[in-house]
Amino acid sequence: MDITAVDSAAVLGTSRLHKASAAAKVAAFTLVLTTVVVTSDVFVLFSALALLVSLAVGMRLPLRRMLPLALYPAVFAAVFAFASAPSVLSAVLIIGKAVTAALGGVILMFATPYPQVFAIVQRFVPGIVGDALLMTYRSLFLLAEKLTNLTTAVKLRSGLAAGQPVRAFRATTRSLGGLLLYSLDLSQREYDVLRLRGYEGRLRVRAIPSADRAMDRAVVVGAAGLLAITIIVRTMPDALGAYTWIFATLTILTLLVTAITRWRKS
Amino acid sequence: MSHIHIPDGVLPIWLWGTGWVVALIALTIASRVSEREAVRRKVPLLGVVSALVLVAMSTEIVPIAYHVNLTVVAGAILGPWMSIISAFVVQVILALLGHGGVTVIGLNTIQTATEMILGWMLFRTLVRVLGRPRVRWAAAITTVLTLIVTTTMLVGLVALAGAGPAAIRDTGALNPATLRFGNPLDGGVVNIGLFAGGHEHAEETDEHDHEAEADHEAEADSSLSVTRFASVVYTLGPIGWLLEALITAGVLGYVARVRPSLVFEGGMAQTESPHYGDEHGGH
Repeated sequence: MDITAVDSAAVLGTSRLHKASAAAKVAAFTLVLTTVVVTSDVFVLFSALALLVSLAVGMRLPLRRMLPLALYPAVFAAVFAFASAPSVLSAVLIIGKAVTAALGGVILMFATPYPQVFAIVQRFVPGIVGDALLMTYRSLFLLAEKLTNLTTAVKLRSGLAAGQPVRAFRATTRSLGGLLLYSLDLSQREYDVLRLRGYEGRLRVRAIPSADRAMDRAVVVGAAGLLAITIIVRTMPDALGAYTWIFATLTILTLLVTAITRWRKS
Repeated sequence: MSHIHIPDGVLPIWLWGTGWVVALIALTIASRVSEREAVRRKVPLLGVVSALVLVAMSTEIVPIAYHVNLTVVAGAILGPWMSIISAFVVQVILALLGHGGVTVIGLNTIQTATEMILGWMLFRTLVRVLGRPRVRWAAAITTVLTLIVTTTMLVGLVALAGAGPAAIRDTGALNPATLRFGNPLDGGVVNIGLFAGGHEHAEETDEHDHEAEADHEAEADSSLSVTRFASVVYTLGPIGWLLEALITAGVLGYVARVRPSLVFEGGMAQTESPHYGDEHGGH
């Protein structure tokens, strides 16, 4: 989980998707997620996936960094599918759903700074939960970096080499123990900062207004259209189920055209 | 098994919907209790411990689809109420980073919070029974027992889901029996019923009977296989339980030696940091 890459892409990105409002992107993500939940047709699911990849390619998002994150749940979904799916098709559907939903979330986080996303979540959860979300995300960067440094230091100190699993295990637990102590010291420092700044039980995040209203509308309408198609296919599977491959083909063509256009322009 | 690696759209809506309702009720109560006192200290503590769990979760053991959780460690430090909040925070961030479904955040929160709270309770009890010098044993036993309970919870969830109609899948032009794509235009568009409304009325009664039978068979065939899932989970699970128990024992043992108050009294028992210029107690 390379959190730093996610954050720098979200903050430094300049695409039209970055300029759209966080509310529009969260709404679009919710619609895509509903599509994933509603659909039981592999072609509709892969159409949604192809459209998401097209969006990422079209907006020049760092796909190489995004794909590992989006494919990560496929590992666990594959185990679940292997363990419980009644057929190969169901297994493909389970893995496809995991990857499509994950890619939707990853696109949202790569195109939106996290405080903006959490500001929306904060409206629906108690104050302490919203604040803890912001604090957790902030601490995540510090701890991830610290763990890397600690692990390197412990490995160098104990002179670890390959083929020493017991010593490596001890070194790992020592690193995690050290990280835990560091975490508690960090929390103490953060408490001092909060006390100094007069924290009274709510961290306020100012929502950044949209810089591209057309893009706001486009992402929401696009996601709503995808969901509408999914619902129609779901409600009339006998009549339309046999034609969903056409939709899948069209979305794959869209992806190809987007990729070629981007490749020519670059 | 601190959370479910089941993607969105696999479990029935009533199940994950119930998960959300239960989790939000628990979260509201936990927040009210936690906000009563020392919020300024709790917010950063929640943040760093949740972040620690997330960092631990990012190290996965791919062959058995397992990753370290440190949920028992988090439970021992946070206590029961803050554990619920931490479990929710961890699951929201995991879901937004693509690790775990968004719809199952509620169920995942229940699962993780159970692990943390049970871990806290068992660890405290075992430390009292076995004595502080055997903190590693207390941590290891707690972790294994906790993971057995939450893994069984997971199997129970899949059993609940597998019995429902949500497992039925439409296949469109793909025949799931042969895994071949049929040509939907073979019999002409009209016969498919897109425009003509399907078959002649005289054939409908018989066809409906056949379709109902076929549907029942399909439903029976397409249900999630709980037995197979349970056997896989209980086969791979113990490897993960053992690893987690060893890591938890190692971490808590190390911290108990270096800073015992943290392990035996919890994160909120930390002493206040001295004010600048007052490091030696102000004398």
